[in-house]
Amino acid sequence: MESTAVPPPGSAAGKPAPGTGSGAGEKGLKANAIGFVSSVVIGVASTAPGYSLAATLGFVAAAVALQAPAILLISFVPMFLVAAGYYYMNKADPDCGTSFSWVTKAMGPQLGWIAGWTIVVADIIVMANLAQIAGLYTFELFSWTAAAESTFAVTLVGVLWIVVMTAIVVIGIELSARTQVGLLAAEVFTLALFAIVALVKVYAGDAPDTSVHPSLSWLNPFSLSASEISAGMLLAVFIYWGWDTTATVNEETEDPGEAPGRATVISTLILLGIYIVVAFAAQAYGGVEGLVAEPEDVLSHLGAEVFGSPLDKILIIAVLTSAAASTQTTILPTARTTLSMARAHAMPGSLGKIHPRYLTPHVSTILMGGLSILWYVSLTLVSEDILFDSLAALGLMISFYIGLTGFACAVYYRHELLRSVKNFFFIGFGPALGGAILFYLLVKNAIELSDPANSESGNAWLGVGPPLLIAVFFLLLGIVLMAVQWRKFPEFFRRRPEVVPAGFLEGEAPPPESTGVSEEEVP
Amino acid sequence: MSTIVVGYDSSNCGKQALDRAVEIAKSLGDQVVVVFGYAPPGIWGGEIAEHEEAIEELGERLTAEARERAAAQGIEAEVAMVPKRGAEALIEVAEEREARMIVVGSYGEAPLKGALLGSTPNRLLHISNRPVLVVPANG
Repeated sequence: MESTAVPPPGSAAGKPAPGTGSGAGEKGLKANAIGFVSSVVIGVASTAPGYSLAATLGFVAAAVALQAPAILLISFVPMFLVAAGYYYMNKADPDCGTSFSWVTKAMGPQLGWIAGWTIVVADIIVMANLAQIAGLYTFELFSWTAAAESTFAVTLVGVLWIVVMTAIVVIGIELSARTQVGLLAAEVFTLALFAIVALVKVYAGDAPDTSVHPSLSWLNPFSLSASEISAGMLLAVFIYWGWDTTATVNEETEDPGEAPGRATVISTLILLGIYIVVAFAAQAYGGVEGLVAEPEDVLSHLGAEVFGSPLDKILIIAVLTSAAASTQTTILPTARTTLSMARAHAMPGSLGKIHPRYLTPHVSTILMGGLSILWYVSLTLVSEDILFDSLAALGLMISFYIGLTGFACAVYYRHELLRSVKNFFFIGFGPALGGAILFYLLVKNAIELSDPANSESGNAWLGVGPPLLIAVFFLLLGIVLMAVQWRKFPEFFRRRPEVVPAGFLEGEAPPPESTGVSEEEVP
Repeated sequence: MSTIVVGYDSSNCGKQALDRAVEIAKSLGDQVVVVFGYAPPGIWGGEIAEHEEAIEELGERLTAEARERAAAQGIEAEVAMVPKRGAEALIEVAEEREARMIVVGSYGEAPLKGALLGSTPNRLLHISNRPVLVVPANG
């Protein structure tokens, strides 16, 4: 095998040799821009369409009846507007980030800390939700109805699920890009097949009595009251959660500096398409009654009727793989947020530790897995009927930190906004409007949820609806923890907000001076 | 004068690998290059740049440790930090230096566990065009 000195892929001639010692040349990430298909896959897989639909469709239908597709459609608007903000924040502070570092830069460390905290809490809550769906669907995969109805059995499998997913992230096992593409293709194909078969059955008269013929009026949000819209959207922002990361993916294009990549556009169209089509088909087949009957496992329930046995199992498998994929796109990014916070001295230093062999933020990851289990089990002990309520609480949190990021973008770029019409709309007005819509949802729902009768479970905790109590509890806990950290490590909290200098986007000014997170020393 | 490329991660087997590499280099009059690959595992998302930086700092600490250990045995080792995964980083440096061999430690895991955990020696053996020496922890 003499002189088969084939250079490894990516080390093209002319690329500087790996340097010796520290500070070895350019950062690795910029070189690791990813291809078109991978970008699309990341965008769609991060949102986990199968799981998102399984978790929300029933509840959205319960809130707005036949207008569920309209809600899915308009919920996308604020997310889209803020995503433009994500794109520009990533431009000033390249190679990804999250609301934590962006809000810290634009609006100061206190709000930034709360934004980071909200990401962490949202992650802990969604893990419990994922675990619940995973437990339920695992038993339904084997048609083990008795177990699927046993809270204990479902919780047990759900906890196991969290343990396994946490271990996978700690060890750093990752699916190859090709496997991910395959899994996603199978998921999308299955959902499409479900929609087609359901619609064919509706028109052939094979559907149950509750079925309704599809109507374009389902896409009309104006027939709903403001309360219905806000309650529906609060649930539905969740299904686009994760999509926003697409805007920060540095796609491999000839001109990466140009408008948000084609990949973002394509993944968006795929997602919107899946959501609208599946919602139409599911609703046409089962009618509102069919969706609301078993809101916790609407897809397995409908799938069994639409496909019949054993074909219905593929839909269950699609939801399970979707849930698994979304833990990969949820746990690790969140662990990276706490890692980043720890390195900025905004959280205890041990959360910034990296495992010497697996190179993952193992302390952060394990802590978050543990807290998810704690949250999941205690919630199940308190009330079995909590899935909806924790989903609504999640909606409050997502609206908060994504909305805050929208405002942060407009503030951060304030010196750029009046330099062109495009700047004004895409960097200033758009993200701020998206943020305003999300904050409106937040406030409107908080007011409605202060009356427990308006929460789906009808429970009253301390006299208010559980979702509001959950959100307020975590906000207060966050403020307390921030105060503790502030006393211990005041330097992070002394950081001043930054601003993007005018002319940065046209290349006339250097990127904003960073007193930022990445400049901090590790303790 | 040829080069021996070694992977080091401060574990027992990493130390053994380094000691063996130094020993062989001394008898052959070779150079030793300690390689650390710092690409973050997992796909995009979150503060990935921050993750990469944290790994890079870890790598600087580990490679400094390795240099000291080699110096104690009378070898002035070089260090190369590469923004790639472990096996790929080792191979890149080995190809560039036209290295005599790549030396890594083995955790002595069962093959299935190794496959699941993405073992670097395993991967190296399959994709390296240069000789690979795998040193067990108590070797």
